Amino acid sequence: MGFAGNTDPQFVIPTVIGLPNQQSRYGIASKRGIEDLDFHIGDEATANSKSYNLNYPIRHDHYFLLTEPPLNAPENREQMAEIFFESFNVQGLYIAVQAVLALAASWTAKGSQQTLTGTVIDSGDGVTHVIPVAEGYVLGSSIKHIPIAGRDITAFVQQLLRDHGETNIPPEDSLDIARRIKEQHSYTCHDMAKEFLKFDAEPVKYYKQFDAVNSINQQSYTIDVGYERFLAPEIFFNPELVSSNFLTPLPEVVDTCIQVSPIDTRRGLYSNIVLSGGSTMFKDFGKRLQRDIKRLVDGRVKKSEELSGGRLQAKPIDVNVVAHKKQRHAVWFGGSIMACTDQFYQFSHTKAEYEEYGPSICRHNRVFESLA
Amino acid sequence: MPAYHSTFNSIENVRVINGLPLLPLVTRTRGPAPYADPSMTRDAIDEALELFRPNSLFKNFEIKGNGDRLLIYIILFTSQCLNRLRPTTTQSEATKTLYSLAVANVVIPADATFPLHNMYPGVSDKSESDTLRQYLTQVRQEVAQRLVTLIYTGESVGPSKWWMSFQKRHFMGKSMA
Repeated sequence: MGFAGNTDPQFVIPTVIGLPNQQSRYGIASKRGIEDLDFHIGDEATANSKSYNLNYPIRHDHYFLLTEPPLNAPENREQMAEIFFESFNVQGLYIAVQAVLALAASWTAKGSQQTLTGTVIDSGDGVTHVIPVAEGYVLGSSIKHIPIAGRDITAFVQQLLRDHGETNIPPEDSLDIARRIKEQHSYTCHDMAKEFLKFDAEPVKYYKQFDAVNSINQQSYTIDVGYERFLAPEIFFNPELVSSNFLTPLPEVVDTCIQVSPIDTRRGLYSNIVLSGGSTMFKDFGKRLQRDIKRLVDGRVKKSEELSGGRLQAKPIDVNVVAHKKQRHAVWFGGSIMACTDQFYQFSHTKAEYEEYGPSICRHNRVFESLA
Repeated sequence: MPAYHSTFNSIENVRVINGLPLLPLVTRTRGPAPYADPSMTRDAIDEALELFRPNSLFKNFEIKGNGDRLLIYIILFTSQCLNRLRPTTTQSEATKTLYSLAVANVVIPADATFPLHNMYPGVSDKSESDTLRQYLTQVRQEVAQRLVTLIYTGESVGPSKWWMSFQKRHFMGKSMA
C-alpha cells in the first residue's frame, strides 16, 4: 500500500495468516467460544510463528469467483484474469455477472421459483439498475437506469429534517444522521395522502424520536422524525419530489424494461422481479412495487381486451416481486451459493487452460455452451 | 403516481365562474355558497386541506377539471396562510392574522396578479366577478378557520412544526403574494 507517485510502497502486508497450533486450542479462548478471533495477519503472523501455524491462503489451491457489472467489456475481464492467474497464481477462476448472482441469492426466499430468469432491481448508493435476465443471460439491450438511489434519499431526508427545523443537529453530523434515520425509521406507504392523515390521527404511534450523540463534544440530543419516514422511499415512486429532469417512477421503468425485452421472456420476467442492494431494503418496498407494476400491467391488458371488442381474452400476467433477507449483500450471497455448487468447478477457467490459451478464455462462458 | 386530483372534477349542476365551481360548503360563514346537503361531511375545503401536504411536494400538475382549479386556489391560499405565521405565534394571534388575510385583497383568478392567471378562463362581466369574489372570501375565511384548528394541536404554544415545514414548499412552484 502506498500513494500514487511513490517509488516504494509504504506498507507491505504479506498474504499470510497465522492460526493457533493444535495444543493452544485447549487455551482459554476455546472455552469462551471466541477461538475464531485468535489469529494474526501478515508480519505479525510470521513473528508469532512459534505458537501459530502459518497459512498462505492466496497461494493455495483455491478457485476464485469474481463478479463484473453487466455490459462489462471483455478486455476488462481479460485483464482481471491476467492479474489473478499471473500475480496470485490461483487455480481456477469464474467471472460471474452481478445481476445473475442477485437472482441466485433470491432462491432463499419463500416460494422462490429458483430460476435464472427474472428482472433484477439493483439499487445501491449511486444509481439504480433494472436488469432483465433470461436463463442466466443478461439482456443487455433492455437494461434501464434510474439516477435515483441511496444518496438521493439521504439528501432528501436531510432536506426534510432541515425543513422542520431540527437545529440540534451539528452540521458535520447532518448527513450521517439523515442516513441513520433513513435506515432505521423509513418505510414504504400505500398512499401518501392517507399516510399524512394517519400521522394526524395517531401522532404517538407515527412520530418517532431519534437519539444521537454529537461526535465532537459527546453531548446527546434528540431529533423528531416525522413525514420523512414514508417520504424517503417515496422518491422511487414519485421522482418528482427530488428531481426536475427525471420524472419516471420506478414501477414504470421496470414495466418498460420488460416490455422492450423479447416477447417470449416477458412472463418470466414479470413473475420473478428480484430486489438487490441496500436501497431496496425499506419495509414493504417489494409489496408497493408489486402493486404498482401489477396496476400498470392489468391496465394494459384491460385496454387491449377492450380494443378487441371482447373477442380476445388474455391470460392474466403474474407479477411477483421477490424480497428476501439477504438483499443488502445479495450479489455476494449469490456468489457464495454459486461457488458451493458442483457446476462451479465445471464452469471455471482453470490455470492449465489459461496457460494453454491465454486470457482470451475469459471471453467464453461455459454456462451457455449448450446454447451456442 | 403523480399529484392528487380533486374528486369534485366530475360534479355537474353547479355554477362555474372564471373556471371555479361554486361548490356547496359545510359552513356557518355567510356568503353566496349554496347550502350543503346536511348529509355532506367532507366538502371541497376539507379535501384541499388534506391534499395540501402531499401536493405541495409536486411541481407538475395537470388540471383535469374545475374541481382541480378550486383545489389549486385553496392550496395556494393555505400556503400563503402558513407563511404569515411564525413558530411563536399563538392560536388567538393566528386566528386574527389569518382572518384579516382572508378578507383583505381577495384575488380571483381573473386578476392579473393571480400566479396562474393564464390557466383559468376569464369572467364575462362585473357582477360575475363580484359574486366570485364574495364566494372566495367565504372559502378563504373557512380555510383560515379550519387551518388554525388543524395546526394548533396543543403540543406547544406555536403552530405544529410539521405543518410549518411546508412553508417553503410551493405547489406547482407558485405562490400568492
